[in-house]
Amino acid sequence: MKDIIIEQFRSFLERVAGFLPNILIGIVLIILGLVVAWFLRVIITRAGQVLRLDHLSERSGLVQILHRSGIKEPFSRLLGKLIYWIVLITFVIMGLNAFQVPAVENILSTFLLYLPNVIVAGILLFLGYLFGNFLGRAALIASVNAGLAVSGLVGRLVKYTVFIMAVAMALELLGIGKDTVLIAFAIIFGGIVLALAIAFGLGGRDAAKEYIDRMLKEKQEKKDEIEHL
Amino acid sequence: MLREEISRRLKEIGSADILVGIPSYNNADTIGHVVRAVQAGFAKYFPDKKAILINSDGGSTDGTREIVEKTMIDDFEHLLINQRQTLLSKIVTPYHGIPGKGSAFRTIFEIARGLGVRACAVVDADLRSITPEWIELLIRPVLEHGFDFVSPYYLRHKYDGTITNSIVYPVTRALYGRRIRQPIGGDFGFSGRLAEFYLAKDVWESDVARFGIDIWMTTTAVANGFKVCQAFLGAKIHAPKEPSSDLSAMLTQVLSALFMLMEEYEDKWKRVRGSSPIPMFGFQFSVGLEPVHVNIDRMIDMYKLGIKELGDIIREILSEESFDGVKETVKSSPFSIDDELWARVIYDYAVAWHKKVMSKEHILKTLTPLYLGKVASLVIDMADSNASQVEERLEALCVTFERLKTYLIERWD
Repeated sequence: MKDIIIEQFRSFLERVAGFLPNILIGIVLIILGLVVAWFLRVIITRAGQVLRLDHLSERSGLVQILHRSGIKEPFSRLLGKLIYWIVLITFVIMGLNAFQVPAVENILSTFLLYLPNVIVAGILLFLGYLFGNFLGRAALIASVNAGLAVSGLVGRLVKYTVFIMAVAMALELLGIGKDTVLIAFAIIFGGIVLALAIAFGLGGRDAAKEYIDRMLKEKQEKKDEIEHL
Repeated sequence: MLREEISRRLKEIGSADILVGIPSYNNADTIGHVVRAVQAGFAKYFPDKKAILINSDGGSTDGTREIVEKTMIDDFEHLLINQRQTLLSKIVTPYHGIPGKGSAFRTIFEIARGLGVRACAVVDADLRSITPEWIELLIRPVLEHGFDFVSPYYLRHKYDGTITNSIVYPVTRALYGRRIRQPIGGDFGFSGRLAEFYLAKDVWESDVARFGIDIWMTTTAVANGFKVCQAFLGAKIHAPKEPSSDLSAMLTQVLSALFMLMEEYEDKWKRVRGSSPIPMFGFQFSVGLEPVHVNIDRMIDMYKLGIKELGDIIREILSEESFDGVKETVKSSPFSIDDELWARVIYDYAVAWHKKVMSKEHILKTLTPLYLGKVASLVIDMADSNASQVEERLEALCVTFERLKTYLIERWD
């Protein structure tokens, strides 16, 4: 009995002794990751400042887009942070992998397979938000300059269309209700078109008549002959 | 970068004294008249000078280039020109780069440099009112009076040239202190050394390559201390364009060049106060101009639509005081945007562009409805005014811009 207990205890100690280096390697990798990530963040941020990336991003309008999305940090610092997290996550994954625990390995491999989808979906949503705002505003300004009375509606339609498309693409990428998203998308758009058709055909008969009359009148009206330049 | 065949041709010609450039794009209907006027101008006023005519074309498909090549004056006697030009050369070439007048001018400047030309002029290809005298008036001040830049002075209908009258002239005058009445006139005279100076600038991929070239040429000359004057050319009549078709694009390009130049010459215009007149060449006269139809109600509707729909965006561009002022004008009767408010609005736009409060294109494009409002206000204001009263009215606008320059400087930094 005593021998069995001792044997079991020795076997446990041997396994712990065999596992300890893995833990140590894992912890060292994570600490190393923290140091490398911090170092690279400082280097990238400084290099961005030297290469005048903040100035360039300002000139290209990127900063304004980020500002409008609530991100107020200079572009070089943002880039430094991004590199920091990418490097740190990479080292943490390597560190956890070094533990060589099957359960952790399984979770990690599932997580790693899914992670790119999550990142790309996040980027898609972010870009969808930015482009939606930008294109919506561009459409609004262009329709006002074209004299369209429904400019506000045009701007909003463009903005939300872009954003909804981005959401649909992100959901599809994450594999969440692929068919449901597609069907919902089709139903919503079909519904909008039908609603507009009904509203314009029945509820908005007078407005439609007035609009068409005005269009015809404008065509008959003598155009401005001013030379602006 | 000149094409190889053009470089070869320049080697054959060697050198020239004077040059006239005509930028063109599908101007087959009018360019023949312009070429004849230039040839007659050369023969009548500069018969002993080695002259060259350049057509810098943007890829016309209506036979514009063929017309330029074929057009020659055979009967000089009927034009009362005794001495026929013997030293006239002609080059017809397509230009490269961004499609636009600026790229066409760049080719003309390069040829001028290649031939060591002393005095140059550029005239539009769609002019119907150009006469041989224009060539003398644009070139002689450079050739014989030591000027580097000759700006045109036209007689125009009181409602025409509204971008010039309501924005470009007052702003340029207030900034640089010289009263150049038509800074974006389009037909200019300039010296060979100024052409070289233009070429050395790196602007050929910007809006300068399009509509912005005129204001860029004028401002570059004034801000860099070149000697400038004006030439009285009479009426400017040219082939009709699609009315208001791309007003927003035109306004954007002109203002983008104007504001870009404000950034470039910031240290110069900040020191300038007031303004002074510049010499004028030519015999001044008045002419009757054809009436111009204006739909004021449509302009005011566009203005109101702009304030209603773009209010949130415009609020980010204007100062609080200006925005409140703009909102008040919607209720005004008769409709009016006073000069002080207008000067503040334009200066606010310059500052917003400089500080990049949003996409630069969006900033400039939101100005279109406001601009139409100011045009409507001026049209209402000048309905019963004659030519000299109109000039007095514009003088008052310019003085307001000069007075409010301190407002611009305070907000700029």
